Amino acid sequence: MTRRDFIRKWTVYALGLLPIWLLDAYILPRMPLWGTVPMLLPLAVAAVAVLEGAYSGTGFGLAVGLLWELAYPGGFGGQVFFLALAGMAMGAVSQYALSQSFLGCLLCSAGVLGLLDLLRVAQRLFINAASLSDLLQVAAPEFLWSLAWTPPVWLLFRAIYHKVGGNRLA
Amino acid sequence: MKDFLRQNGILLLVIALLLSILIGVLSVVMGGQADPLSNLTNTIVSPLRGGVTAAADWVEGVYTYIFHYGELEQELNGLRVRVGELEEQVREGEEASRENEQLRELLNLQARRRDFVFEGARVTARSTSNWESTLTLSKGSSSGIQAGDCVVTEMGVLVGVVSKTGLNWSTVSTIINTDTQMGGIVNRTYSAGVLEGDFSLMNQDRLKLNYLPEGAQLVSGDEVLTSGRGEVFPSGLVVGQVEGVFTDPSGQTRYAVVKPAVDLDALIKVFVIKDFEIVE
Repeated sequence: MTRRDFIRKWTVYALGLLPIWLLDAYILPRMPLWGTVPMLLPLAVAAVAVLEGAYSGTGFGLAVGLLWELAYPGGFGGQVFFLALAGMAMGAVSQYALSQSFLGCLLCSAGVLGLLDLLRVAQRLFINAASLSDLLQVAAPEFLWSLAWTPPVWLLFRAIYHKVGGNRLA
Repeated sequence: MKDFLRQNGILLLVIALLLSILIGVLSVVMGGQADPLSNLTNTIVSPLRGGVTAAADWVEGVYTYIFHYGELEQELNGLRVRVGELEEQVREGEEASRENEQLRELLNLQARRRDFVFEGARVTARSTSNWESTLTLSKGSSSGIQAGDCVVTEMGVLVGVVSKTGLNWSTVSTIINTDTQMGGIVNRTYSAGVLEGDFSLMNQDRLKLNYLPEGAQLVSGDEVLTSGRGEVFPSGLVVGQVEGVFTDPSGQTRYAVVKPAVDLDALIKVFVIKDFEIVE
């Protein structure tokens, strides 16, 4: 794949990320479902990692992590490494253990969302910010409501993958 | 995995780790000011954010007009009645003010005054996380806004405190956010306490007035204001109303659950108090 094809491919992926980011950052927070706002960015990383593999998943995870840290309030850097690592892990798991299918994406999404919520719960338990039941009352609906967004995110990135993904531009 | 290693995947992970550390260190070092990377990103993103928010506000307005017209009309009628009542109160208040002024002159007391320097700003984004309650504003350090400035509505109701500023944007930690901590006072009884955000209450849009004095007789509906203790935040800003009084699980202290007077989901325009001087 030439440098030009590489840039074209990832520009199209970035454009695919744009509506997801706008929804995640500016539209969905205005209309929470039972007080819960979904997290769409980890789903985007899961979809691309499942479709493109471990290496591309790491790179996309790094880029999305940077966006999450820099354009959203309250970031402390950890999400860049977390999403890059998650992208690598999900890409590798889908290549060797699961398939590059919707089911694979759903399982990977569940994994990354579950881990994110688990870390948040653990962090708040550690500083004694709230009781476990209070924390789970936030984490569980967030996990489920976010996971419900997997189909549209998967369909969007699968469409992009069919146009420019893998080595199609090579 | 072989492809991953052959294509220098480890290098990508190392870069991610270094970026994480860099952002973490910068955010700690810069304190209330946005780190250069966040500042640059948000300065670029700001017009887009403003555009999306304006479009969403317009759509929401049209939706409300079409589907909630009856409610709007009812609210308007209620507001007309309320304006009439308030006009009556203002007339009575003016009379009392004149009398107060004369008495102060007689006693040779310094006149009470409250001078605020405001900066109006639009709310361009709301909390994107279920774990904190924040707002993003359309103005930042270039307009003189600093971390620690109080944010109020046009009615003087407290919204929150600026937690981070960039060039043309700033982040506000709302009063229900878990990092809120400021002096509060119950207007009727002058019972002072500490206004604190609480995780379990945050999700119900409530906050705590903690460490109430023993024997404080609060009732539901009592108005809570900022006390201005420490002179970090202005006094007399309306926070909300007492909803109930409870005893801490330890049994040592009592606290009141406060319902904020501000509807955080409906905010469009707010005012940042850049500077204040209060003579009591």
